[in-house]
Amino acid sequence: MYALKIILGQPVRFILTIGGIALCIMLMLFLMSIYKGVADGSLEYIRASNADLWVLQQHANNILRSTSILTDNKKQHIKKLPGVESVSSVLFILATLELPEGPATVYLTGFDPETGIGGPPELDQGSHLRDHDQIIIDRSFAQKHHIHVGDRLPVKKDTLTVAGISNGTNMFVLQYAFISLEKAYSLIGFPNIASCYQVKATPGTDPRELAERIRTEVEGLNVFDDPSFLENNIREMESGLLPLLFTVAVIGAVVLVAILSLILSIQVLERRNEFAILKAIGSPPSFIPSVVLKQALIYSGCGMILALILFFPMLRLVEMVSPEVAASSSLIQILAVSAGVGMISLLSSILPNHRLRRIYPLEVFMK
Amino acid sequence: MNNPTHIEIAVMSDVTKIYNGGRYWVPALKNVSFRARKGEMVLILGPSGSGKTTFLTLLAGLQKPSRGDVYLFGKNINSCTAGELQTIRAKRIGFIFQSFYLIDSLNVLENVTLVMKFAGLHREVSKSRAISYLKRFGVEPFAKSSPRFLSQGEKQRVAVARALACEAPLIIADEPTGSLATGQGMEIVRFIHESVKSENRCAVITSHDERISRFADRVIRLRDGELYRP
Repeated sequence: MYALKIILGQPVRFILTIGGIALCIMLMLFLMSIYKGVADGSLEYIRASNADLWVLQQHANNILRSTSILTDNKKQHIKKLPGVESVSSVLFILATLELPEGPATVYLTGFDPETGIGGPPELDQGSHLRDHDQIIIDRSFAQKHHIHVGDRLPVKKDTLTVAGISNGTNMFVLQYAFISLEKAYSLIGFPNIASCYQVKATPGTDPRELAERIRTEVEGLNVFDDPSFLENNIREMESGLLPLLFTVAVIGAVVLVAILSLILSIQVLERRNEFAILKAIGSPPSFIPSVVLKQALIYSGCGMILALILFFPMLRLVEMVSPEVAASSSLIQILAVSAGVGMISLLSSILPNHRLRRIYPLEVFMK
Repeated sequence: MNNPTHIEIAVMSDVTKIYNGGRYWVPALKNVSFRARKGEMVLILGPSGSGKTTFLTLLAGLQKPSRGDVYLFGKNINSCTAGELQTIRAKRIGFIFQSFYLIDSLNVLENVTLVMKFAGLHREVSKSRAISYLKRFGVEPFAKSSPRFLSQGEKQRVAVARALACEAPLIIADEPTGSLATGQGMEIVRFIHESVKSENRCAVITSHDERISRFADRVIRLRDGELYRP
């Protein structure tokens, strides 16, 4: 009550402080949402695949940031191995589309439309590929460039019709687009190559044993079971993204600590006489530090509430302005940020509480 | 001086207090001995710089003597921890200051109950007792008001209520009439005197106002850190 009354005694300062705190919290929430959005967009393609094994060229271990070129003879070799039900080629090409508002790059993915293996994880609109002159593009890419189902897009030397719009295919810096494998071959001018093979094992075959068999029998390949391959890609995604997000989040947290510490320290200094009186008349040693801590928690709690009120409309706004900004939030993120803010409150009360130790009850008698 | 007896609230035995003034050591109190008993009101008179404040702060256990012993409720403060002294102050000493020192962010009632919270009293007990003390001193109508809206006299009445509400056996008042008009000041001293007599407390008051002496059971004069008899 005392802590709250001290804070409410300065309403303008209170509003400005929780505004600053809310902005820092929103920044942290936004960064976490970006992380989740990018993680979902980058990995959903792999998660949604039904492959038991992923086969890449030797030394390549992910599809996000490594080059892998496989030739058809390897595919034929794998097909013949016992325990292999099917081998599906997928070819990734970085391609620039010449759109009316300027060039835009997509992660063009060639797959076999007949089996659907290697295709989009989920369709938002339209249909799957029915012929080689069609393309499926990512939803955020379509929103950003105002592309609709049925529109025609210039892709390298060809013009393809948008058959569908996919979900879970936005990697933030780049979006997936899907075409038939035949069209991919024709676009790059090399037939029968692939970036990776998605292998299905026959029922009853242990994928790990099959992976070992492929490694032994076919030279120059990297073979991963589905969980290991997903892990590789997560690691790759995090190594590119996390340091940046972490740095900005740390800056946000440091600013938050600085704002809170400064405000609490100012209040301790302003109330030096009051606190000295309380010490003189017998306040327990924990009383005034607990007041400071409560103030920190009130400020950060109110800041958190304000941040949550503003965060979701802000997210909508960002998505409207920049659809490719993949942001996705969850309750766990909010709880994690709340816990972090609680920790920051504790941390922020250290400096002002240190100042409290230098307030002496004798001061009230010396005036 | 002998050890304190059960009716002695506070005892100073040959107490000297010297402050470190940087290049010099400044003696604030010199070989002072003093006893304060239940049911008596002691007035410490002296001009500014005579050592009155040092005397009071030693008596309140807010600092320890450089030499000699101070006993509070039978305990030598030299051997008390900071926590023990804080408990003594919270539960057994009521403070009244010249500038009232009420907390403006709390209302009048909360100012009184806060001290009782420090003394460990239950919230409901604190509230009912605080209201009865505010009534006693005629400031109960301001219970929900901020002290900043009260007159000087009303503020000091609230401060007296705060000091007495814990039912502390020892009242320490530092120039309690210093910021008040004569009539208001005498009224405050009368409140303290009544409480000492009717509730068998002990009050030690510092002042340079000779008119208070008519309420005091004993008047002690300090000059240059020493007790003296005129």
